[in-house]
Amino acid sequence: MAELLLDTNIRFWVVLPIVFITFFVGIIRHYVSLLLSSQKKVDLQKVSDGQVLMRSKLLRENGKYLPKRSFQMRKHYFNDEETGFFKTQNREPAMQNPMADPSMLTEMMKGNLTNILPMIVIGGWINWTFSGFVITKVPFPLTLRFKPMLQRGVELASLDASWVSSASWYFLNVFGLRSVYSLILGENNAADQTRLMQQQMAQPMAMAPDPAKAFKAEWETLEIVDHKWMLANVEDELIGNTPYPSDVYVKNKYQ
Amino acid sequence: MAATMDFEDVRDKLRKWREDKVRNSTETAELGEYLLANYRRKLGDEVWPLFEQVSIASLDCGKLSLARLCIHAVREQFPQSSRSKRLHGMLEEAEGDFESAKETYEEILKGDPANGLVMKRLVAIHKGKNDIPSAIKELNKYIASFMSDSEAWMELAELYIQEQDYSKAAFCFEELILYNPHHHLYHQRYAEILYTQGGIDNLEIARKYFAQAVKLNSNNIRALYGMLLCAYHIASSSKSTAKKKTENTKYASWAKVQLDYKYKQSEPKDEEVLGEMFDRLAITSGN
Repeated sequence: MAELLLDTNIRFWVVLPIVFITFFVGIIRHYVSLLLSSQKKVDLQKVSDGQVLMRSKLLRENGKYLPKRSFQMRKHYFNDEETGFFKTQNREPAMQNPMADPSMLTEMMKGNLTNILPMIVIGGWINWTFSGFVITKVPFPLTLRFKPMLQRGVELASLDASWVSSASWYFLNVFGLRSVYSLILGENNAADQTRLMQQQMAQPMAMAPDPAKAFKAEWETLEIVDHKWMLANVEDELIGNTPYPSDVYVKNKYQ
Repeated sequence: MAATMDFEDVRDKLRKWREDKVRNSTETAELGEYLLANYRRKLGDEVWPLFEQVSIASLDCGKLSLARLCIHAVREQFPQSSRSKRLHGMLEEAEGDFESAKETYEEILKGDPANGLVMKRLVAIHKGKNDIPSAIKELNKYIASFMSDSEAWMELAELYIQEQDYSKAAFCFEELILYNPHHHLYHQRYAEILYTQGGIDNLEIARKYFAQAVKLNSNNIRALYGMLLCAYHIASSSKSTAKKKTENTKYASWAKVQLDYKYKQSEPKDEEVLGEMFDRLAITSGN
């Protein structure tokens, strides 16, 4: 298709300003979200539950190093029908509905406010300000379907779809500057919108595992674990093939 | 020493110690004092974690005036922070004023009930007053909430040993083995507790754990001795069957050969002493 020659003014007055605007808006968004973020209140019950589950998991995995009686004692503590921990501790199911839980609602609102809203506002403003001309040509050919999306404001039927307008250059910057942000602001910065979008897509996943369900699952896995004492024949294993000291494996860490 | 070092070096050294949670308190206190006295402005925002580090180090060394200075500065800057309140509580503990320290900590817990560090300080208060039973009670309360804290289990085991409550101490060491099943020292100490409790069954289990400790680290001389003693006592007890006797004499002699070899490798002149000791053992095991 035709090779267009663009005004060099476009380079100075459109391309670079859009880059700067995107960059600074990102930095500002990061600091604003830092200011608005509230201290997360740690719930003792939740922490304690997490630790109990961890202990039970370790019992399952490493219980074979304990004498049989100790293992049975602990299994009984967790799993017994009447007095076991997992049976008698009832927990309220975790609040999943964001509308009902006020603290989570404000959290969501703050997240939306600092990330999506500026993106829409700035995108629209750029589109309105720098409309009516193409900015640049993407290096790969695009199909005609992309034309209405990438060429807002330029109503030329015969123009190659590779020529894009300012709005698409803005979006390109949003994604591209992500690595620059991590360089400057460190990892896990709030200016990273793409991470937020990924989070929103993954939201159907459970937030905190429902304690009652987790306990029930842990109870089942602990029930089926059997105790096979690792140390039953340890002396024979130790002595078995090594009557002479020179055959014993020695770790020469400190020699 | 501090005056001859460069500002950069001192600051980097302290930073590294802070990140690695190294606790050599005398050096930290000395270097920290030097930095804070001469380079306040250059440190900028890093001065606050440095204050915390130096205050804990000076409390360890007993330099209460330095600690008071640092903690006062931190409290002025961060009056509402639970971290600075905890430091203030630690200062009160060091001065011996346990009552007000307790009040400080309980105030922090009211605002933040899941603060494990402060709960542990309450235990420390009881230890400081040498009131071991209440320390044990407080620590049990902590462990009921934070079951996976192996440091806490370790501390509880030490407290029980002090109170000579060996069965409960054994329970704590079992927990530690659960969390770190390949650490030879836990196996060895557990075996030692069982050996202290006595009784043929305990001795057998103790012998097995000593053997496991040797298996995990064959340089563990204590475990070899433990194995030797357990095997001797079982072999020479009147209640064991002939089969057990032969088995245990086999284990005992194996352990003895290992010990001989190890001593020969490191201290050849101790061989005679060792020989005498073994002979004496053989004589007294006639019960």
